[in-house]
Amino acid sequence: MRFEEQLLMDLKAEMTARNERSRRIGRRLLAGAAVAGLAAVAAVAVPLLSGPEPAYAVSKNPNGTLTVELKEFRDSDQLEQDLKNLGVTADVTYLKPYTKCQDGRGALVGGGYDTPEEWRESVHYKVARPANKAFVIDPRQVGKGQTVLLEFTENPDGPYKSQLKAEVIEGSVKPCVPEHDPTQVG
Amino acid sequence: MRLKRGKLATDPVAFEAFYRRHIDAVTRFLSRRVDDPHTVADLAADVFLAVFDSAHTYRPGKGSEIAWLYGVARNTLSSERRRALRESQLTYRVSGRRPLDSDDVSRLEEQIDAEQPARAAFEAMAGLPDGERAVLELVVLEQLTPSEAAMALGIRPGTAMVRLHRARKALRDLPFVMEGNPR
Repeated sequence: MRFEEQLLMDLKAEMTARNERSRRIGRRLLAGAAVAGLAAVAAVAVPLLSGPEPAYAVSKNPNGTLTVELKEFRDSDQLEQDLKNLGVTADVTYLKPYTKCQDGRGALVGGGYDTPEEWRESVHYKVARPANKAFVIDPRQVGKGQTVLLEFTENPDGPYKSQLKAEVIEGSVKPCVPEHDPTQVG
Repeated sequence: MRLKRGKLATDPVAFEAFYRRHIDAVTRFLSRRVDDPHTVADLAADVFLAVFDSAHTYRPGKGSEIAWLYGVARNTLSSERRRALRESQLTYRVSGRRPLDSDDVSRLEEQIDAEQPARAAFEAMAGLPDGERAVLELVVLEQLTPSEAAMALGIRPGTAMVRLHRARKALRDLPFVMEGNPR
């Protein structure tokens, strides 16, 4: 066998070993992140299709909440406009796999959260909850002068295809600066 | 074919395609810098291991694959980086003395002979400041465009142009320095 072929085989074996290792480390990081209060990332199943159909559908529920069914990660500006018309100021970001927006895009309402328990009690948890292939927004959690940040990360390797991070911000919102997110695992 | 970011280090199919596209270019790149077949093979292994480590820095659509790969290869060749890699237990499967049979050795020796003028050019460039030499090397010997060379080195295109100009001025009596990709 030519040395190039042998080298390729060895490199692929090395890749497999490294991927195994990083999966183990990733799980540990995730466990740590949950304790550190980063559990605000919830899984929402969004099929990553492409086609001429609308990218999403928004519907009103009898209890005052809104259901947003995401079919594709596009037209975020239009989704923001539609939500605005329904009384919710939202900032929607669609992110590539293994990335997130840099923290600190604005002042968290209620000063943020430090534990998963605090998160579950907070407005950031209540404002947007995943529901099967959609998510439900509660407009009552977004007050005047506040904006809900909705950050979706594509994760084609994961079980849910995407993740949602929601936060309610008081006052001005900085634009998303995407950065590598080592805590995401396939 | 375009690669997704990070895939190079996690997707065996994507990596194999990438490897097959570039392994020849990498061994030629190395044959322009070292003259021993075993060292070329060992360094090729180190370069592709470094690809795993650097895969997250690859931006599809921003500059060519080969420019990015030459950037990785240049870093790999720096002695400090190589020492760290050697000491790392993680890469024992791949790094170190690669087994070569006699066919491999003669193929690599031919390639090394063919690159003799390039190695002579390297010696002529040795007196240049590091930054200028790096740009000249990538443009003249590796046939990258100045902006690709800038990407490989992590500098601005304008900076690369200025350094290229200075390097060519300093070495204007040597025939090779005006070669390379004019874009």
